[in-house]
Amino acid sequence: MTMSDSTKTHEIEALPFRKIVRITCKGIKIRIWRSLIVVSGIVLAIAFLSYILCADGFLQNAAANGTPELLKRLSRAGIEFDDMDNQRVQTYWMVGLALLISFVGIVNAMLMSVTERFREIGTMKCLGALDGFVLKMFLIESFIEGSAGAALGMVIGVALAYVEGVFQYGGAVWALLPFHWLFLVAAGSFLAGIVITVLGALYPAREAAKMMPVVALRAEL
Amino acid sequence: MTEEPTQFTDEQLLSHLNGSLVVRAIGVKKIYKMGDEEVHALRGVNFSVRRGEYVSIMGPSGSGKSTLFNMIGGLDKPNAGQVYIDEVDIAALNPVELAWLRCHKVGYIFQTYNLIPVATALDNVMLPMTFAGVQAAEAQDRAVDLLKKVGLGERILHKPLEMSGGQQQRVAVARSLANQPTMVLADEPTGNLDKATGLQIINLLKELNQSEGVTIITATHDHKMLAISDRIAWVRDGQIDRIQNRDEIEIEEGEMHVN
Repeated sequence: MTMSDSTKTHEIEALPFRKIVRITCKGIKIRIWRSLIVVSGIVLAIAFLSYILCADGFLQNAAANGTPELLKRLSRAGIEFDDMDNQRVQTYWMVGLALLISFVGIVNAMLMSVTERFREIGTMKCLGALDGFVLKMFLIESFIEGSAGAALGMVIGVALAYVEGVFQYGGAVWALLPFHWLFLVAAGSFLAGIVITVLGALYPAREAAKMMPVVALRAEL
Repeated sequence: MTEEPTQFTDEQLLSHLNGSLVVRAIGVKKIYKMGDEEVHALRGVNFSVRRGEYVSIMGPSGSGKSTLFNMIGGLDKPNAGQVYIDEVDIAALNPVELAWLRCHKVGYIFQTYNLIPVATALDNVMLPMTFAGVQAAEAQDRAVDLLKKVGLGERILHKPLEMSGGQQQRVAVARSLANQPTMVLADEPTGNLDKATGLQIINLLKELNQSEGVTIITATHDHKMLAISDRIAWVRDGQIDRIQNRDEIEIEEGEMHVN
């Protein structure tokens, strides 16, 4: 075995981004079931969020442009149009809650997927992985899982809201949930899903990246 | 005026003397904080390893053996004292330089193999080369060669869980050699293996030590390891109790088995 050339330059090149993406994708593919569980959590959270946003849009539009007949039906269903401000506050609470639930759910999922790989991270660091590699790997992974989950969740949430609306209030929904609004809700939920997922992964990924290899190796799960 | 004889500075002399040293630990101390209590894992250890040596670090658990081992491998930093790996003070290295050192200078073998469970033997051996920036084709060739060398030529596409413990440890041995390191650190490499398999791994390490000239440092309490070590450092209470050379070891071997 050739011994060190006694070069004292410690230049290590960060792996090219494409290569990290490839390694990450491979990891997701190999751990596909674990990834799907994470993704399903994101799907649920984002479906809930986009559903609530759709319902809110529907009510707002109904209050402004709804036919008297529709308003009467909605009133019977418990919506108080005289007290729309109060109603809005309630809706905001709901949206806030939906975001919070998504956030907690997603952070939890990311935390799990990082902590269960502490050992692997420690091993990789022993083999020469840079902190940046570990960080990027988890951020890319969360981005991929986040976009997949958010895309699916947004479709499910919007579709559910729409189908429910059509069943309950018939064609009126078409006018009261216009496409540009749907598009906004969809885009908003999608973005929220990605941002929340990446943010949720940021903390555990940073902790994992900073760990001394021994600590990571010693971590018991 | 008298002519000055050619003089070397102390530093030059030292560096000449130390040129053959792969590891030099000087007054290494390590203190862990457990709540309010301070645990002195290492209390000023001096220790060095020469190039091409096969050194075992022995000691009961809690003796500081693992801590010393981690310091030597650049996996942990001392609170006081210096550790030089290939004459580089690891305390002076930033995280990127440390990663470079781990990648190029040190190969690690762990008690629990620590292979990436979802990757094949080939991918596992290729990983350190990927981190070192070796081209994929070259890395693959080298990984196949290494796996053949450890006797796993037939199993390069198996995943860790499809292999026995001994085979997994062979993959780990191949992986540790991936970037032609200056030294290989093996932490209880036979700890999870039965006697016969453990012996195979020990022989493999010795073979690599002799044929390739790789410096091998093991932390162990496996007595089989003693017979083939060039030197043994006994660690007790955070200090090196004594260092034995090979000739002393053989005399004492029978005695040690009694213990």
